[in-house]
This record gives sequence, C-alpha cells and structure tokens, in this order.
Amino acid sequence: MSKSHHDRTHHVKKATGKGDPQCFKGEAGPPKFKVGDHVRIKDLPDLFYTRCQVYTRGAPCTVAALVYESPAAEDEAWDNTDKPEWFYSLIFRQKDLWPDYPEAYANDTVETELSERWLEKA
Amino acid sequence: MAKKPTEGEHGHRPPAPMVDEVSDFEVLEMAVRELAIEKGLFSAEDHRRWTEYMDTLGPLPAARLVAKAWLDPAYKKLAVTDGVKASLQVGIDWVNSMPTNFGTPSDYCNLRVLEDTPKLKHVVVCTLCSCYPRPILGQSPEWYRTPNYRRRLVRWPRQVLAEFGLQLPPDVDVRVEDSNQKSRFIVLPMRPAGTEGWTEDQLAEIVTRDCLIGVAVPKPGVTANAKRPVHPAVHPVHHDH
Repeated sequence: MSKSHHDRTHHVKKATGKGDPQCFKGEAGPPKFKVGDHVRIKDLPDLFYTRCQVYTRGAPCTVAALVYESPAAEDEAWDNTDKPEWFYSLIFRQKDLWPDYPEAYANDTVETELSERWLEKA
Repeated sequence: MAKKPTEGEHGHRPPAPMVDEVSDFEVLEMAVRELAIEKGLFSAEDHRRWTEYMDTLGPLPAARLVAKAWLDPAYKKLAVTDGVKASLQVGIDWVNSMPTNFGTPSDYCNLRVLEDTPKLKHVVVCTLCSCYPRPILGQSPEWYRTPNYRRRLVRWPRQVLAEFGLQLPPDVDVRVEDSNQKSRFIVLPMRPAGTEGWTEDQLAEIVTRDCLIGVAVPKPGVTANAKRPVHPAVHPVHHDH
C-alpha cells in the first residue's frame, strides 16, 4: 500500500503542551462581534457534518463572551484547520426557542457556543 | 433433540454472557481501534494504559474545587475566570496529562465553571452527543448520554430537574448550558445553609457528581447521588427477530 502524503500528526505537533483550543490563539483575526451584541443564528446549509443545533437556527441571542479561537467544527471534521474563527458563548431566551415555553418562566435561558460563521447582526 | 444447554451435568447454569448486546457504535470503535493498532498509530499496550487511566478519573477533584471556592473568594474568582488554571490546585492538569498532552478530542482544554446565584441555577447537557469534563469529573453517568436527557433538558428543563428531585421556585431562573463545542462545564452550586464552620473536607463530601452537572444541589448529610429508578417503557418496542 502506498504511503499517505497527508501529515496526520500536525495537530499533535501544534497542540502538545499548549492544549486545544489554546493552540489556535491569535489566529482568527479581529472578532466581528462583542459582548452584549444582539445576533441571530444563520440557517446555513451543512454537508455531512455540523455542530450547529437545529433548535438554535434562526433564533435571536446575545453574545455573553468571546470564548476562544478555533477552526469551526464543520471544517475541523475534515481536518481543515486553515481558517480559525472566533467562538462566542451565546444566551438564548427559552421563549425565543420554543414559542409555547411557559410565560411564568420568561427569564429561563439556554447558553451554547457557536463559531463566527453562524452569526449575523440581529 | 440435544439437551438444553442451560441444564448442565451438575445441575447449574453456565455463566451468563458478559453483555447482552454490543451496540453498532461499540463494534465501530473496536474496528477503528484494531485498524489503528494494525497501522501503528498506537499499540495495544498504549490503549490498555489509556483506558486504565480513564478509569481512574472521578468527580473528587471537581468537588474539591467547589469546596475551595466556597471557602476562598480569591480562588472562586480564579475558578470562574480560568477553570483550567484553577484545576491545577486540585491536581488536574488539563493540558499536560494523559493520553495526548493536549486534551483528547472529547476533552478539550477549556473548562468553564458556572457559578449559581440565589436567582440563577445552571444545569449542563450535551444535546449533540456526550461532551463531559472527563479530566475533572470522570466518565459521564449513563443517563447523561441518553437521548431522553439530551432531548428533553433543553426543552423542558424544570420538568426534567423535577424528575431528578430538584423542584425550583419560579423566581429562580434556569440556565441550560448546551456543551457542544470545545468548552467543558461544571456547576459551582450555592453553598447550602447548615454548613457554617465546615472544613474543606466536609464541604467537598456533599458536592456530588450530580451537583456538579447541576441536576442536584448540595445538602448537608447527602454525600451520594440519588438512586435513579428505572421505569419500564409503557409501550415497549418489540423485536420479532
């Protein structure tokens, strides 16, 4: 069998002793959004792999924190680490996710993380 | 007709099989593992050492982290702002530890400690799979990985928590943390009343794994996870084959 020319150890070399996602620090460029921004999750097409949950798509939310830089899961699944992105911690009101969520608990929330490609200004 | 194998010569049954069923995912894991060993990515010995290492992990360091944070406001601040750094003080090095020294793909090195307040209760789920802060909490409980918990917690958090025995008053907001990228989460619950003057050891004892996931709150005198009753399905699926 011929030898693969793809270096399957590049991630090990980059991350050992630093950690993942720490090893991508400083590679994403300036972030597009800041804490407190109101954003909306784009309903992007995804082929074969995504970590963007259906329940978040199209929903408005607030940026709670800029958490780290990393290739998006949708790229990294294919070992594409060329373009790291900012990841944001986002807070959704339950009422915005599930229209019949009980009014009595209007301040209940869901927090989750997504990369920059999934966000647009609300 | 041959004698039934269940009735041996000496009148006792042969040992039951170790597992009733091997899932497709377990078969897949074995196939990939054997392929990886065959291709020399790691050895069978490496695999044995890693799995044995994983089996040594448990929730005690995280319980210690919470107890320390209750007693030391400066440490609490560190825990909430930099969970990875705070973990070092309870003996967990997220970056320089087995097996990879950079966090395995399911244990990325970004721990966040979610601080409960009198008005906000956190609870953690991974709706996609089973992301879990293994280095500091060990292996996840079986229920954490079930589609039942993962599907329902984001949609009906209060009802699911009530099933765990945790009934929250309406003036406490629930925040479900859906852990599905590279951060891992533990909950820093409120220190309960009745623990005044307790030592770090005493406090750590009441911080159970369930408190760290957020489906329970610490109580003086409660040092174990509640039993999870298993209810048979009302309309079970029948397999004819």
